[in-house]
Amino acid sequence: MNSPPLLDVAGLETHFPVRRGLLRRQVGSVRAVDGVSFSIAKGRTLGLVGESGCGKTTVGRSVLRLVEPTAGTVRFAGTDVRATHGAALRALRRRMQIVFQDPYGSLNPRMTIRAILEEGLVIHRLGTADERLVRVRAALERTGLTASALERYPHEFSGGQRQRIAIARALVLEPDFLVLDEPVSALDVSIQAQVVNLLVELREQLDLTYLFISHDLSVVEYLADEVAVMYLGRIVERAPADALYRAALHPYTLSLFSAVPTIDPARRRRRIVLSGDVPSPARPPSGCRFHPRCPLAESVCREADPPAAGDAVHVVHCHVAARELDRAGDAGAAAARITDMLARSGSATLSGGVGT
Amino acid sequence: MPLLDIRDLVTAFHTPDGRVPAVDGVSLAIERGRTLGLVGESGCGKSVTAMSILGLVAAPGVIESGKILLDCDGRTDDLVTLPERDLRRVRGGRIGMIFQEPMTSLNPVFTIGDQITEAVRLHRDVTPALARARALEMLRLVRMADPERRLDEYPHQLSGGMRQRVMIAMALACEPDLVIADEPTTALDVTIQAQILELLGDLRRRLGTAILLITHDLGVVAETCDDVAVMYAGRIVEQAPAAELFARPRHPYTIGLLAARPTGRRSGPLTTIPGMVPAPRDFPAGCRFHPRCSFARLPDCTTHTPALDEIAPGHLVRCPFADALGPPRPSTPGTAP
Repeated sequence: MNSPPLLDVAGLETHFPVRRGLLRRQVGSVRAVDGVSFSIAKGRTLGLVGESGCGKTTVGRSVLRLVEPTAGTVRFAGTDVRATHGAALRALRRRMQIVFQDPYGSLNPRMTIRAILEEGLVIHRLGTADERLVRVRAALERTGLTASALERYPHEFSGGQRQRIAIARALVLEPDFLVLDEPVSALDVSIQAQVVNLLVELREQLDLTYLFISHDLSVVEYLADEVAVMYLGRIVERAPADALYRAALHPYTLSLFSAVPTIDPARRRRRIVLSGDVPSPARPPSGCRFHPRCPLAESVCREADPPAAGDAVHVVHCHVAARELDRAGDAGAAAARITDMLARSGSATLSGGVGT
Repeated sequence: MPLLDIRDLVTAFHTPDGRVPAVDGVSLAIERGRTLGLVGESGCGKSVTAMSILGLVAAPGVIESGKILLDCDGRTDDLVTLPERDLRRVRGGRIGMIFQEPMTSLNPVFTIGDQITEAVRLHRDVTPALARARALEMLRLVRMADPERRLDEYPHQLSGGMRQRVMIAMALACEPDLVIADEPTTALDVTIQAQILELLGDLRRRLGTAILLITHDLGVVAETCDDVAVMYAGRIVEQAPAAELFARPRHPYTIGLLAARPTGRRSGPLTTIPGMVPAPRDFPAGCRFHPRCSFARLPDCTTHTPALDEIAPGHLVRCPFADALGPPRPSTPGTAP
């Protein structure tokens, strides 16, 4: 927290135009990311969680400018990423890499592993052919693969091995920062643990900073230092991981956590079942975007956008949580109150569905 | 007599590279009104088991041996030998189906009402008006918001959760004795998954339908199933009542799967199962888990297929060392950490 952040994102907005008709006129826009701010200190991991369509993937891509943001600032190591062009942007991108979810779709099937790993070095004009090979081998070995993989093609590898190759491709440029977009979601449980361990090892050995995007709350709790929860293009709550998992304040965060099925009866929470589906980001609701599904919604929630409440480390955007924080004084007591209110709202059922 | 009794099922695919036994001697029984979870990782044969029950194994796959006995009104049919004409009456009639991806299981050019009505009229001799009334009743049963309007909508107009409700409505339209649900919530978000699992549980209590739930998610199994069978490489390696299995897993694979899940903040590396899931054409000899097993690796493990032994009432394990593995059996049950 004391060192200046490596990545600092403020007021980030990424809107996609909706076009209709013969002339492809713009009739509206999908506000995929609509005012997102966060920062990550060097060597730390921010977990970005939320359900499909909440905009978490678009945040990751906007930070790297793989999609062009509409507004806001992205600062990486003090440099304004959005104001950087040409060679300077290329130099910046060498330090910021991404690993995608799908290990089948993200590797070119016609290229050997060697060519896949070398491509970035060639684009960035780094090293002679011999030096490049040394770096490619080193990156492969870091991810637990051997040089025997070099002349083979992606289809010869399993899902877990392909994800190691994708990680090696990101590492070969010796970046400081990785966007990990659902890196273990497509993998089987037994393989997922291997890749999670690898990511933790690499973070420690190479002093890497991660933006870890996932819908899997258990994996995020395991490896993130800080967690931000997104809903419909906005961050609704952000806190250090242990604080968030112990005392979440936002009704959405609480219902999300309560919905995760668990095998451990001691960790089972009273389930808050939300009604309805996530609204379309093309027509976000007025006021608090969660209000149509929120069991605690009041009239103010329909009218006013909730401002940030809480302290410097635990921030929540919720009118009810803000009031309870004021009343209770500390997050733990407020979280207990809000959990209790949700339980009494009639939307809660004891977990255990079919078998009880 | 259980509702469904699978005995020594072998389903193999005959590919140009040779015979691939995706399901290799599976025996399972489902009692009326119970929920059985069939869990395992990709390629373990859990979906092929489901397709075998429904007679939907596509060429080059073929059921080579075994019986699939369905008990109904005092009559027992073997689904393996049942003619296709009769099987069609079983599918969607006595056995309902829910698949993972409702978008690909629903026909995009017909309305929701048409599709549920068709399911009803295939199995019941009713007038179109009565079938439509039944479709509306089913949409109400699965708690679809605004059911009258939904009847005339197309699948693409619904969200993923609503489409899965339509699938459930279709599966239950003919009051089946058994519903086979293959990863019914895997494509859904966790808050929508909670809605669907709650709905399935509620329907089971009210209608007494037995459910075969196929999933890779142990948490879903723990919260929804009465019994669990764990599959690995085409075989069942462990089977027990759910509470027993999660409190006292005995097979090294089950123990490894449970330990590999992250729970809470990182206090050290996650326990991993070394190596990877073998493809059906590379199933090893002997115990199929032996190359990845971190417990007993005796010469026996590499040559002999262990039997599925009952080590406690209702708890079956395919490992001769099962008694020595896993947490000890406490004198009072239910005291797992």
